[in-house]
Amino acid sequence: MTAALLILKDVVKTFEFPTIGRDESTLSAMNKMLELDKYTLLVPRQNKNDAYGIVTKKDIVARVIAEGKDPTKVKVKDIMSKPLVILTNLSLDLRWVAKAMANSGVSTIAVFDKGDFYGYVTEACILEGVYNALRRAKLEQGVEFVSC
Amino acid sequence: MELRDILGDSKHVKISPDSTVGDALVSMIENKTDFLLIVRRGPNDSYGMVSRWDIVEGAIADGKDLGATPVLDYARKPLVVMNNLDLDIRWVAKKMANERVSKIAVFDRDDFLGFISDVDLLKAVAKKAAKGAKK
Repeated sequence: MTAALLILKDVVKTFEFPTIGRDESTLSAMNKMLELDKYTLLVPRQNKNDAYGIVTKKDIVARVIAEGKDPTKVKVKDIMSKPLVILTNLSLDLRWVAKAMANSGVSTIAVFDKGDFYGYVTEACILEGVYNALRRAKLEQGVEFVSC
Repeated sequence: MELRDILGDSKHVKISPDSTVGDALVSMIENKTDFLLIVRRGPNDSYGMVSRWDIVEGAIADGKDLGATPVLDYARKPLVVMNNLDLDIRWVAKKMANERVSKIAVFDRDDFLGFISDVDLLKAVAKKAAKGAKK
């Protein structure tokens, strides 16, 4: 029943986040989030010496609305987190993936496999992975799983 | 814009205070939500709340046995509450940032009105900006 048997590779997902330009206003980031119903946006780098950034709903709430700033004037580059928090060991125990999130205070981690971009792991991915593991464990015990 | 303007229809799933973290995780996934309200045991008890963050960065990161850990070990209790409906939403956002939560319970005197989430705030501000642009 623990999450100890799961590793990063089981839960990492290969998908792309919607992107937003670094010079766009927070308002357009907000509109994009609401429109797509996805609350994490990737900010592409300018050249190969630059780092990628990420902007989430939490950044907007805490750094724009809470400070009473005008969302049309504040730019994405002023509130984004940069560089990304990354993990490179695909066989890492899920526990330490969760701990890495807790330590750096983020909810999304980019995963690289030997220098190549592999995918992202988010809180939702971890929950889903643990949920599926619990379900499998129950099935193996012969307990019929009740689904909603 | 004030607190009362953004108080939408709140949907929240309840869970018993005797549940384990595993129960909470299953309920969260099956109800497609990212937080659960933990009901109180009596009129002198407080309500609690457990979010996705509490489970992932709390119980899973600590390597606990999810089926044996009580949800109250990782829950936020009591709730973060606001009761001034005339408050500017700037201070709602500031409260979220200060308390590091993404849901705030709103009460008017004794009546529970619902939850305000960070997405509600984004929607309100985006709507207000859209109106401003038209004028």
